[in-house]
Amino acid sequence: MLKFPYCNVTDLNQALAQCRFVGLLGPLASRRQSPRAVVSCSPSSSEFSLTPVQAVMSCQQQVGSSLVNRLRLGGLTEDGLSYKEKFIIRGFEVGINKIATIETIANLLQEVGSNHAQSVGFSTDGFGTTPTMRKLHLIWVTARMHIEVYKYPAWRDVIEIETWSQNEGRIGTRRDWILNEVATGEVIGRATSKWVMMNQDTRRMQKVSDDVKEEYLVFCPREPRLAFSEKNNKSLKRIAKLEDPVRYSKLGLKPRRADLDMNQHVNNVTYIGWVLESIPKEIIDTHELQAITLFYRRECQQYDVVDSLTGLELTEDSKTVSVGTNGSATATATTREDDHDCHRFLHLLRLSSDGREISRGRTEWRKKPTR
Amino acid sequence: MVATAVTSAFFSVTSSPDSSDSKNKKLGSMKSKPSVSSGSLQVKANAQAPPKINGTVAVTTSVEGSKNDDGASSPPPRTFINQLPDWSMLLAAITTIFLAAEKQWMMLDWKPRRPDMVIDPFGIGKIVQDGLVFSQNFSIRSYEIGVDQTASIETLMNHLQETAINHCRSAGLLGEGFGATPEMCKKNLIWVVTRMQVVVDRYPTWGDVVQVDTWVSASGKNGMRRDWLVSNSETGEILTRATSVWVMMNKLTRRLSKIPEEVRGEIEPFFMSSDPVLAEDSQKLVKLDDSTAEHVCKGLTPKWSDLDVNQHVNNVKYIGWILESAPLPILESHELSAMTLEYRRECGRDSVLQSLTTVSDSNTENAVNVGEFNCQHLLRLEDGAEIVRGRTRWRPKHAESSANMDQISAERA
Repeated sequence: MLKFPYCNVTDLNQALAQCRFVGLLGPLASRRQSPRAVVSCSPSSSEFSLTPVQAVMSCQQQVGSSLVNRLRLGGLTEDGLSYKEKFIIRGFEVGINKIATIETIANLLQEVGSNHAQSVGFSTDGFGTTPTMRKLHLIWVTARMHIEVYKYPAWRDVIEIETWSQNEGRIGTRRDWILNEVATGEVIGRATSKWVMMNQDTRRMQKVSDDVKEEYLVFCPREPRLAFSEKNNKSLKRIAKLEDPVRYSKLGLKPRRADLDMNQHVNNVTYIGWVLESIPKEIIDTHELQAITLFYRRECQQYDVVDSLTGLELTEDSKTVSVGTNGSATATATTREDDHDCHRFLHLLRLSSDGREISRGRTEWRKKPTR
Repeated sequence: MVATAVTSAFFSVTSSPDSSDSKNKKLGSMKSKPSVSSGSLQVKANAQAPPKINGTVAVTTSVEGSKNDDGASSPPPRTFINQLPDWSMLLAAITTIFLAAEKQWMMLDWKPRRPDMVIDPFGIGKIVQDGLVFSQNFSIRSYEIGVDQTASIETLMNHLQETAINHCRSAGLLGEGFGATPEMCKKNLIWVVTRMQVVVDRYPTWGDVVQVDTWVSASGKNGMRRDWLVSNSETGEILTRATSVWVMMNKLTRRLSKIPEEVRGEIEPFFMSSDPVLAEDSQKLVKLDDSTAEHVCKGLTPKWSDLDVNQHVNNVKYIGWILESAPLPILESHELSAMTLEYRRECGRDSVLQSLTTVSDSNTENAVNVGEFNCQHLLRLEDGAEIVRGRTRWRPKHAESSANMDQISAERA
């Protein structure tokens, strides 16, 4: 029998402050549902003031009592070990190709991960933290994200995303996703992500302690279940750090107000947009993103200025080499890589001011299918 | 309750339940009496045990009562043959009563917006109210929440845009592109928004479900007005009202066009004659320049995700840029309560824009409440070509913003 965690959010202010965890966001004031958990809080005098009525729910309250739950086309699977939800692609979520953008996909992955954590009763404050974590001021932080899209959904397509989480190593946990197209049942994408625990005061990584593990492992599959079960799959590939000079770049990118999450940190999905900014137009016009891997190294704050650098990845001699030519932002002579239909790039996001690395990544592009 | 329902179904119901407001006129029409009007019905009703509905005697007794006053033709001789048609009539009557009762029952139990969701699981939306209003629900997702813990104005505008497209689509008014009818496509015409006015009474938060209703009307002789009403699906509280003005443009020549007769034939059936949902903000929008602008943000360029299918910058993105140059103290302590935008020009991927903002004097004729601010905005290209002109109003988020207000006033003094 699954034990339901008893969540006690005793200090809302602390829980809100300084969290880079993007997967599970949400303002406290509005969370009306708390399936299988009890939340009690003291009204705070800060701007995140909370009506006690909204925050106190009974343990026996049925999931699905609120309107948003009734409308939500998702829920835990029968064994309770994963979560599935359906989404319809809306008109403002498609891009120049009339298909969902990678940012839309990434946003949906984030949403479904957040809804999963919520449905198992984790942090109804929206952070996916277990009770012990909150006691110890620990938060989840994204370390790595890898998304592969085999077929992009179009406007009004309905997709179903299944997600689950499990332990990874000593300090991390992973969350995997599978996306499929409801109409045909075919798998249209897969994703995996690695999360680590960080002390939100010291901003240092921390090992996942056994108490925390116990709390969330009940909701994880017993046997390892990987979205990418192949050995040496691309999600694990080491990414070299790009060095100057790089082939393509877009400098001086600034976070917009809309890029900020509720803690005034730059949303992880924004990084994807920044990486794409330095991809040359010729590729964007003719190719679509097949896979993207991002390693998150440093947090980006509201007033940071970021440079996005892109270089080609050559894979001859089974060695990954990053190629640099002159630093111009326009495409120069074609290389052997351009003859293929698949392009691979290495990326670096770094602070304009001192060059410190924020994120590094890798993308693969395939020729756009004729639609 | 069933007996009442059945009875009331049979007689004309003068007052409908509160839940059925103007949107549910269709259901009200079933109040008319079933079309059974044979005098012989009353005879038969006595002769055989009427079917019991939940233990109560059927309504035929009251039918009898009401029918007594009908024209009194002398009853035909009661042979076996004559009795047969009465059975079928009785059966028809009972069936009709049952159906009417069921409908009435449903109406009494009906909560205002539940059927929408049952029939519309993916929130695609549906046309209501005589086919003129399109209604769609949206759940506010976690990533749609901005820094202010509420759905961002961009999210709200995206919802408005989405319902507009879906309305056109479900009304059969969508040609190949977004927002052009088949006749328009043939003539290379597109709708272009020239003016948008939004008033937000309250921003939805994470987990809220909003209902967006939209409809179109004529605007002058050659324009179209689209209105929106956004409400909280659960409470019915009005959250946002918006109105927009659209004109027709030839997409090749980029010149404005009158509405051709063929297009008029397509769209006029869908026009509602109603007052605008918002009083038009008739105050002239001032064009800022370098000398009058207090805050300027330069070097703004569209990202890939800002472009729509035509590689033009999506209308909604302009709002984000406008806010780029809004003074931070206002952004942090106040929330956008009203916005008026005039769209002048489009821009594309390679455009480089500048965003200018001035905080208006509170002593102008446009009186504001205490703690509120007005701002003027301009979005233009580097060469000065104007993209969007706008005006925004801001109200304090919370009572504790008085400190910020002093700061803002001091800065401008």
